[in-house]
Amino acid sequence: MMLSIKDLKVSFGKTQILRGVDLNLERGDCLALVGESGAGKTTLGMAIMGLARGSATGEISFQEENLLAISKEELRDLRGRKMAMVFQNVEDALDPVQRIQDQIAEAILVHRSISAKIAGEEAAMHLNSVGLNSGKASMYPHQLSGGEKQRVLIAMALVNDPDLLILDEPTASLDALTKAEIIRLFQSAIMGRICIVITHDLSLAASLAERMAVLYAGRIMEMGRTEDLLRNPRHPYTRGLIRSYPAMTATKDLQGILGRMVHGLPGCPFHERCTQRIDICSLQVPPQLEKDGRIIACHRGGIVPLLEIENLSLAFGSHYALLDVSLSLNEGETLALVGESGSGKTTLSKVIMGLYEADRGAVVLEGRRVNKRDSAFYSRVQMIFQNPKESVSHRMNVLDAVQEPLQVQKIGSHEARHRRVKEVLGLVELPVDDDFLKRYPHELSGGEVQRVAIARAIALGPKLLIADEPTSALDPSVQAKILKLLMDLQDKMGLAMLLITHDIALARKVSDRMAVMHKGRIVEEGATNEILINPQHAYTRRLVDCASGRYEIENGEIVIMEEPVALEKYC
Amino acid sequence: MNNAVEKCSLQGQDREQSIGKRLRNLFPASFHGYLIALAAIFLLNFILPRLMPGDPLQAIYGQEALVAMTPEMEAELIRQFSLDKSWWDQLQAYVLGLLQGDLGFSYYYREQVSQVIMGALPWTLLLTGLALIIATAIGLILGIESGFKRGSSLDRSLVACLMFLGGFPDFFIGILLLLIFAVSLDVLPLSGATSPYAGYEGLAYIFDILRHLALPLASMVLVQLGGIFLLTRNTMVTLLAESFILTVRAKGCPESCIKYAHAGRNSLLPVTTATGLRIPQLITGALFIEIVFSYPGVGSLLNTAIDARDYPLIQGILLIVTLTVLTTNFLVDLLYMRLDPRVRYAH
Amino acid sequence: MHINPRREISHDPLAKIGLLMLAIITLMAIFAPLLSNYSPHDYTGKIFSPPGMDHPLGTDSMGQDIWARLLYGARTSLLVAGAVALLSSSLSVLVGATAALAGGLYERFCMRVVDAMISLPTIIVMILVAAYLRPSLPLLILLISAFSWPGGARIIRSQVLSLKERMHINAARTFGAGKRHIILKHIIPDLSPIISALMMQDARRAVFMEAGLAFLGVSDPMVISWGKMMNQALAFTYLDVWQWWLVPTGLALSATLVAISFLSFSLETAIDPRLIKEKTVRQDGNDALN
Repeated sequence: MMLSIKDLKVSFGKTQILRGVDLNLERGDCLALVGESGAGKTTLGMAIMGLARGSATGEISFQEENLLAISKEELRDLRGRKMAMVFQNVEDALDPVQRIQDQIAEAILVHRSISAKIAGEEAAMHLNSVGLNSGKASMYPHQLSGGEKQRVLIAMALVNDPDLLILDEPTASLDALTKAEIIRLFQSAIMGRICIVITHDLSLAASLAERMAVLYAGRIMEMGRTEDLLRNPRHPYTRGLIRSYPAMTATKDLQGILGRMVHGLPGCPFHERCTQRIDICSLQVPPQLEKDGRIIACHRGGIVPLLEIENLSLAFGSHYALLDVSLSLNEGETLALVGESGSGKTTLSKVIMGLYEADRGAVVLEGRRVNKRDSAFYSRVQMIFQNPKESVSHRMNVLDAVQEPLQVQKIGSHEARHRRVKEVLGLVELPVDDDFLKRYPHELSGGEVQRVAIARAIALGPKLLIADEPTSALDPSVQAKILKLLMDLQDKMGLAMLLITHDIALARKVSDRMAVMHKGRIVEEGATNEILINPQHAYTRRLVDCASGRYEIENGEIVIMEEPVALEKYC
Repeated sequence: MNNAVEKCSLQGQDREQSIGKRLRNLFPASFHGYLIALAAIFLLNFILPRLMPGDPLQAIYGQEALVAMTPEMEAELIRQFSLDKSWWDQLQAYVLGLLQGDLGFSYYYREQVSQVIMGALPWTLLLTGLALIIATAIGLILGIESGFKRGSSLDRSLVACLMFLGGFPDFFIGILLLLIFAVSLDVLPLSGATSPYAGYEGLAYIFDILRHLALPLASMVLVQLGGIFLLTRNTMVTLLAESFILTVRAKGCPESCIKYAHAGRNSLLPVTTATGLRIPQLITGALFIEIVFSYPGVGSLLNTAIDARDYPLIQGILLIVTLTVLTTNFLVDLLYMRLDPRVRYAH
Repeated sequence: MHINPRREISHDPLAKIGLLMLAIITLMAIFAPLLSNYSPHDYTGKIFSPPGMDHPLGTDSMGQDIWARLLYGARTSLLVAGAVALLSSSLSVLVGATAALAGGLYERFCMRVVDAMISLPTIIVMILVAAYLRPSLPLLILLISAFSWPGGARIIRSQVLSLKERMHINAARTFGAGKRHIILKHIIPDLSPIISALMMQDARRAVFMEAGLAFLGVSDPMVISWGKMMNQALAFTYLDVWQWWLVPTGLALSATLVAISFLSFSLETAIDPRLIKEKTVRQDGNDALN
């Protein structure tokens, strides 16, 4: 009952669509194959069925037979009998001049020599089992709705009880209600078989398959349990895919992945769009390695942790500003550090930047313990502060302010620095003409000065940006623009961000993960949407409730209301 | 699952159609177009001679005929055509005559026009009918096979060959075949439908007919073949790229089933439509071929009638031919309705 | 769908052959007086003489030079083809486009007329009318055009109907474009590939009709026609003369028809949308991806 694919390569003309796919499935397994269009998902399904155009090499071993090595006749015999596929285009998938019953009966008659009458009766029975009454059996395809046609296609695929079932975008052309019904139908249909669900719809994958494989430009990037992958993606592409998908439970704004998919690149197919690429990524194709039940194809072993804070403690006299703080921030990710004033958020950022010295514990950057903060460190980690007009010297004009870090680190010639200043000013959407470069902070608006500060921070091309309340001193409309700018920069430059804020609603919109600090301790940490939907710690719950307006003032004290209340206030 | 079943059965409830709608669905939409065309021909036949300047009898029979006619015949004809009465009476007489099957009197053959035509019509129907059936059958099969193996050497040579052949006018192909087989090689007879005065009976008679039929039939088939083949092939090519063929292949259907039961069956639809459009061409082809081979069908008859300026005969032939064409078109439309369920069970 | 007639022809080898053949025939027709020693109307007195130095294709039953008659016959065919193509397609566009744009009772009336005319077997009716009228060449051209335009009108009408609803026309309306601008800048460019295809079909039919009618004896006696030549030649199959009288004439006619057919076929994708699908299917690589 096994399907085993080894190093499958499919090329059509000059393009190689599948670049070596390895897969192993047992009876009862259901695998979701996800990825963008053009990744090769349908080609994989078709290659297994023997319907793909182009030439295939490698091995597809199904029930001890190599499907690529058997004759066309034998393959045709297996199709529709032992393995079946349901295609994506429901509209034209049925022969317009034959009755439904005849088309289903044909699937039976092709493989078994029984009388046409019996085949017809079986066909009617199968139609019933997918929820269509026998009146529909004698109809023609154009008389059925989209959902009904989909049911017919399912019945047709299941008629000979195949051991392998491949579904290609099975709900793409259906409306939401029909989709829900069909999903229920699928859930019963796939039991006891090997099932591959090809889709770009992550919620469909979640409801049907317990395992998921992410395909990119013909290679599998990550594979593992669906739930795990969706909650904690470990490959940068998987993370990007999930971030760009509107799910009901997602809280962060949608983000795309820069660039487009190109086939045939040397090395890792994703390397040009990956923000954590190193030299080897463009030279060698990363192998699929297994770790903790997850298969990842990445030279760096998946998303690397950028900054790790281990058991940091800092006391001012007898008062602990930070007590045993441990945190980790991944490459390309936004971590929101929330808490009341005085919880220790800003202290932590200052410790990271080396403005304070911790009593105990360590700061680890890119796997190496940071002992002193040298220019190498500052070129990797930069910070922007709460009050822009104070963090930029009022004696320096725009040009001086932005090129200051370059000057300090003695990077580049005068002209090169000038060019870099213009470049980063362009990135933060500020004018680059000489007139603007000569302006002083008091001649600019708050938002513009903050942009100058951001430009200054990214001039060195850092990997981590620490933003301490970057917008609380600004007007709300300006706030939105600055945050959008930060998200954009994250996309373009592959920045990781540590966002320190007391505003949970804000953190909700822009962060992937959240850490809640209370009195110098981290009380809760995890994915933002999970924490906000289901806060574990009491303090977190209080914060969330207050932010949502679910409280009352009694005797000068904040009392959280027990019953869930209709959200009247804008929260 | 139960909800789903309920929902589905609710959707299919208004399948009952009124009787009137059902009747209307039986007849193709083109029906009244045909009726109008028929009426137009009748009127044209009636009006044309009467519009010509001069004596209507002269217009109907032409100058030459009049010279050859005796005064008794003239008087008889005037009475028959009611030429001495008003136009309205003439029209009544004309329509009445038509309904009775009276198409006039042929002066050249000295017989009723309807008699003359009925002598020739069966031969033409034999030739044309056989040509249509054979050409369609061969064209379909070749087209299906060629379309299925698009780009192969078989396909490319067939396409080039038949496109070239289709460019030739039918009468020239007939002439070529005549020259090659009848004149040079002397294998097949030169003319006629049967060998005159041979006195064949039964099987020998049939064989004789076939021998005479061979060249004219071959010419007509060759001319029609190109169009049907190309249309079938092109339709096959587009059909094979459609989604439902993928479903059929996924079911595990063998090649022959895909080719004929599915793609072939679907390509019948445009071919049927095209056949309907092609019938006038078929008739003209038959006309010319009959002349080339001196085949005693309606075509040769028309040729003779034109040479002899026997106007009643000409009109009669044209009327019968038009009627045949319109009837055939109508039948083809009915056939199409049967073939395409999307038309039969329109939403 | 974007069809460029020039591009279609330049990509299709058969079309290029057709174009070449047609060009040769046209040149021969134009330079007919230079290419033949005799006038086609001259009676040389020698009947049925075989091909020789004097007469490249010999002489016919009346002693006229066959080669000269062949060349001048080309003029007739090409003239009829060109004139009918222009006249018929103009009528098709006129009726089809106005019917689609005006709509209402006018459109219904026009389409009824078109439907009725299409159902008639045209050559039969033409024989009838021609037998009565005994037309001269110009009248014949008018007659053939009168029966060719309905087919094209139907196609043009359906195309204009779908054009009316297209987004780019609506967009032009939002800039305040008037009917004239829309017709000139949007409708006519979109229709031009269809019109070229229709003209080719009309031309082909016209050559066939003219030759056919002449073959039947219904034509202008003043005019030299290949059809009439073939009709005359057919009476003498018992002599050897058919070899250089009947066959070359037939070949000339066929060559002209084949040339136009080849050209017409490559332009047919403009009117048959199913053939366009074939061309896009041929662009491999795109459908293999996913």
